[in-house]
Amino acid sequence: MTEEGISPLPYLFWEIMLGLAYEFDWGVLWRNPYGMYLLQGIWVTIKLGLIGWAIALSLGVLIGTMRISPWRWLRFLGTAYVELFRNIPFMVQLFFWYYAGPMLFGASLQKSINSIIGLNYYVAIIALGMYTASRVAEHTRAGFSSISRDHYQAALSTGLTHPQMYRYVIIPYALRIIIPPLTTEFLTIFKNSSIAMTIGVLETTFMSYKIDSETFHGLESTTGACLIYLALGLAVVRLMGMLESRLKIPGMIGR
Amino acid sequence: MRKCFIFTLAAIFAMTLIGSVALADETMDRINKTGKIRVGLREGSIPFAFIDPKVGKHVGFSVDMTDLLVEKLSQHFGKKIEIQPFTVTPKTRIPMVANATVDVEMGSTTYTQKREEVVDFSYIFFFSETTFLVPKDSDIKTIKDLNGKRLGGARGTTNLKAIEDQVAAGKYKPKDIVVVETHPEGFLALKGGKVDAYSTDRSLLEGLRMKAPHPENWKTVDFAIAYEPYGYMCREGNSDIRDFINNTIVWSIKTGKFFEMYDKWMGPKGVVPIPMSKTYRDYLTLICYPQAPDWWKKK
Repeated sequence: MTEEGISPLPYLFWEIMLGLAYEFDWGVLWRNPYGMYLLQGIWVTIKLGLIGWAIALSLGVLIGTMRISPWRWLRFLGTAYVELFRNIPFMVQLFFWYYAGPMLFGASLQKSINSIIGLNYYVAIIALGMYTASRVAEHTRAGFSSISRDHYQAALSTGLTHPQMYRYVIIPYALRIIIPPLTTEFLTIFKNSSIAMTIGVLETTFMSYKIDSETFHGLESTTGACLIYLALGLAVVRLMGMLESRLKIPGMIGR
Repeated sequence: MRKCFIFTLAAIFAMTLIGSVALADETMDRINKTGKIRVGLREGSIPFAFIDPKVGKHVGFSVDMTDLLVEKLSQHFGKKIEIQPFTVTPKTRIPMVANATVDVEMGSTTYTQKREEVVDFSYIFFFSETTFLVPKDSDIKTIKDLNGKRLGGARGTTNLKAIEDQVAAGKYKPKDIVVVETHPEGFLALKGGKVDAYSTDRSLLEGLRMKAPHPENWKTVDFAIAYEPYGYMCREGNSDIRDFINNTIVWSIKTGKFFEMYDKWMGPKGVVPIPMSKTYRDYLTLICYPQAPDWWKKK
């Protein structure tokens, strides 16, 4: 049984501690076929992050709104969702959805679910989306709470119904307020997507470990992965910064 | 001219002396001096070296081989040599041998050229086959049947690499290759129907199968797609201890002790039954070089 490369860093630590010759070979980041591995990994990471974020944002805002709605059972549902999803480690959720999830659907449906090609990829997207949604919901609620009571009353007194009040007054305000914490969540979803590696999704971290196990150049491949995540993160920060300045209402928030 | 010749002779003589001093290897010296041999043993490599929960000690085929080795070492030095066990893992075993934390590693380590550069390997004592675990009623009988199937493997293992390489070479075309993190997860994926066949070493697959609630529902296929040779490790350049290990292996084959040990751990009633193939038996017979009947005696 050879398991080299399962975790490159301890191995590398020993390699350096022992003074074994470690020769840097940055070529593993672009040489055929390793460069292709990384590109595929980046593409999967981007897809995981963006689709997961779409789910997280829509579901999160919905649930955050539920948590402050005047109807008790809606509030209860929202709270239950948030507490369930944000209090269980993401990795455990991922394992649950991947290995135990299909069993919830009964024997015959379970079989057809399990035979889906690329199931781990879809599970990773859904799990990422649902986990991040619980965090987005909390930020949304914080955004709602920061809007003063007068706004609610003013909106209702103009004759808007409750849903209309949220749709036209409160949510547009709240979303603007919470853009900075949402940026953090958007960054986190890319970073969390690396955990999808544990169910065999071929994303960036997976590919960098794969390159390590094939070339024994873990330091280079891990550095490559770091730079990729850094670049993705900076791109997101930039994007959200542009969004923030474009959407800001003069005189409302912002200095 | 003559002076020169004498000088050369003297130089050669001196070098032989130095050479013979250098020959006494550090590991053997150390064992002699301390009366102990530090052995790296695995905790979960069933049936080669693992902890038996009932006795809380290392047991297994390679542990029995260690006992034989120590018996012979004791006879060699004319005093009792004690075993000092160290637990090693797949990640630490090579560094621990290389940096002399342990004198020898007796487990189930695959002999590779890359590893040979840092440590020395004994003779190959076992061949593990990369093969597949499938449901009892599976239609996978030959390599060709792998076409259109979903195959599973654990990340970073040589088994997964073998599948990927063979697929890249066009030997067969599976529908999908599902990568998991650990072997129990792989078995879970097989049980859930996420893969049609899960791949790793035959001994490990049999171990997984025996631990399942219904072992009879699963089987390993008859063919293998790759072979991995196992060897014992000692420190690079310490040829005396390596010779001693090799001598012990050969001696155990000749005296039949090897086969008794194999039967104990991998026979039909063993922990993990793996029938000994004819090729493997032939290999064991063929590596037996001539040995003095009292080879372990100090010269």
